[in-house]
Amino acid sequence: MALDKRVVDGNAVIALSGDVDLQSSPGVRQQLLACFDTHNRVIVDLAGVTYIDSSGVASLVEAFQLARKKNGSFALVNVSAAVMRVLSLARLDRVFSIHPTVEAAVAAQG
Amino acid sequence: MRKPQAAIAAADRSPAADSSAILVEREIKDHLGLIAEMTRVFAASHDARSVAASALERITVHVGAEAASLFLIDDDRETLACSACYGPVDITGMRIAINAGIVGRAVQRQEGQMVRDVRADADFGSGVDAKTGFTTRSILVAPLSVGREALGAIEIINKVGGDGLFAAEDLVLLETLARAAALAIHNFRLTDRLVQQERERHELDLASEIQRDLLPKPAARDFPVHGLNIPARAVSGDFFDILVLPDGRIWFNVGDVSGKGMNAALMMAKTSSLFRCLAKSAEHPGQLLGAINNELCETNSHGMFVTMVGGLFDPATGRVRLSNAGHEPPLLFHGAAQRFTAIPADAPPLGIATGIAGPDGFPTIDLDLGGGSLYVFTDGLTEATTFGGGMLGIDGARALIRSHAEESPELRLKNIAGAVKLPGQSLRDDLTLLVVEDNAPLHVVPSPSPVDNTTSDGEIMRLRVPACADRLRLIRTAVEQAARFCNADHGWAADLVMAVDEACQNIIRHAYGSRGESGDIVLDFIRRGETLEVQLMDFAAPVDPASIKPRELGDVRPGGLGVHLIRSVCDDARFVPPPPGVGNLFKLTKRLGTKV
Repeated sequence: MALDKRVVDGNAVIALSGDVDLQSSPGVRQQLLACFDTHNRVIVDLAGVTYIDSSGVASLVEAFQLARKKNGSFALVNVSAAVMRVLSLARLDRVFSIHPTVEAAVAAQG
Repeated sequence: MRKPQAAIAAADRSPAADSSAILVEREIKDHLGLIAEMTRVFAASHDARSVAASALERITVHVGAEAASLFLIDDDRETLACSACYGPVDITGMRIAINAGIVGRAVQRQEGQMVRDVRADADFGSGVDAKTGFTTRSILVAPLSVGREALGAIEIINKVGGDGLFAAEDLVLLETLARAAALAIHNFRLTDRLVQQERERHELDLASEIQRDLLPKPAARDFPVHGLNIPARAVSGDFFDILVLPDGRIWFNVGDVSGKGMNAALMMAKTSSLFRCLAKSAEHPGQLLGAINNELCETNSHGMFVTMVGGLFDPATGRVRLSNAGHEPPLLFHGAAQRFTAIPADAPPLGIATGIAGPDGFPTIDLDLGGGSLYVFTDGLTEATTFGGGMLGIDGARALIRSHAEESPELRLKNIAGAVKLPGQSLRDDLTLLVVEDNAPLHVVPSPSPVDNTTSDGEIMRLRVPACADRLRLIRTAVEQAARFCNADHGWAADLVMAVDEACQNIIRHAYGSRGESGDIVLDFIRRGETLEVQLMDFAAPVDPASIKPRELGDVRPGGLGVHLIRSVCDDARFVPPPPGVGNLFKLTKRLGTKV
């Protein structure tokens, strides 16, 4: 699991790669939540994610909830078919704001 | 009872009567009457104080004096205290040095004193008069003693009748009465002591009964842990306890408080209560002993300490986690191999110092009983005197364990104790024995249900891995390969990988994790016709399947997703009754070629 952070148009963009599983999700969760200390808008780029389990999904849910609480925004981009499979099984595909790319996510903010 | 008329008549003597033989005879009769009466009153009464007060009044009136007082030697043997008096001033409670004044002289010399004019006596101390305003002119003192034991003295002050001077016969009378009074005081004290002893014996009986109730009741024959405690005196400083957790694991302990008698018994009661109370929330024996140590150190006094072995036994796996705080090393005995293993202490006794335990408490050791028996005992066993007169020692203890190994646990403990408790004699020290029996000698992982080997059916592979998050990737790779082995497509494989991964997570997080335990997961991949079955076994405490529910899907929150994901992608997923030695058995079934 690797995590890369940059800023695009005031958005914190977190790029995850590798397996987001029980072993790595505590770190992911901490990093995601920490983004909201400095940014109100967070985009998670899942392009490099090869596997995500329920604990990884739970971290995304927590970040999503924190964004709502802070009147910020939280979006997922570059969601692979494998990750989308898990999100749709969890019926979270309709909950998260999901975009093909970082640019699309930024543009959607209007 | 009282004969005031006679007493007053005797006191009211006229000079004319002195010469009369009849009167002298009458006087003697009066004296004898008083002596007889006083003796009777002393013998019959149980209330020393009121008898003393009335006796002093009778004597004062009879002799014809102004005042009288009774001084008794204090427990410190250095002072005389006035315990009763009669006269115009009350000096009850007054204390003087044991050798002070004329009273002191009578006590020191153990002979009566008659001082007709105190001003001429160098020993007279005027301090009392100065304090009370009373004027002492003459004193008559008789010592009180029984055998060689001095008890105190009776004094009479200021003769008023006759010529105002005490006569020799007054002293004789007082000495005679003093002897009867001394005997009475001695008897009062003896009775008091007997009553006190009886009360103490009764209290000791009660303490002994309460202490017996603190020990666990005898267990059923097939229960794996048995204990026995024989106190050397009425109460014991040794103890043991056995506590069964809802999941079937068993806490046990054997402790020995330094010293014997009532203080050791009270310390025992405290320590065993702490054990029982703290065991319910402790995760392992090291943590428990560390917590007991802290509690004892916080309140302990008098330098008492406790040696203890505490353990947690899991009958399902035959494993014991043990912590030994300065106690006699327990012995693990394997009957088949006739082999003993001693488990030495690696922590100091409890109640000596705080801060000796690490963050996770006292050190622990993990033991696989492997079908053997673990014996925990106090030094009452190893230091017991044998028939031959010597000390049993650790070799003697081993020999006893070996020779009774074939008996039932209860009988075995009784016989081992019987070998060191000589008939009709009490033990030198309290004796406590406890045995943990591993009744299921082989905790092997059972094979999956038989499969038909004539077709392509059968076990594809078995994987045994520690239940840790860092092994999940390994497991996922194995699941993917197993799916590929069954010619499943990529999507099918990905779903199964997710289901097995989530199931393993539940074992790591809930089955083992909720208790902070560690252990293995065994995965069996079995092909049955057109389905692939994955069996996941753990060795943790049984999980209540009713407590595992999928999350409500409308409910957007972290967690609770795993079970839903498993059910979503599998054709069947359920807990099935585990074979002996297995904590939980979870079975996943997925039809090949289906994508749910």
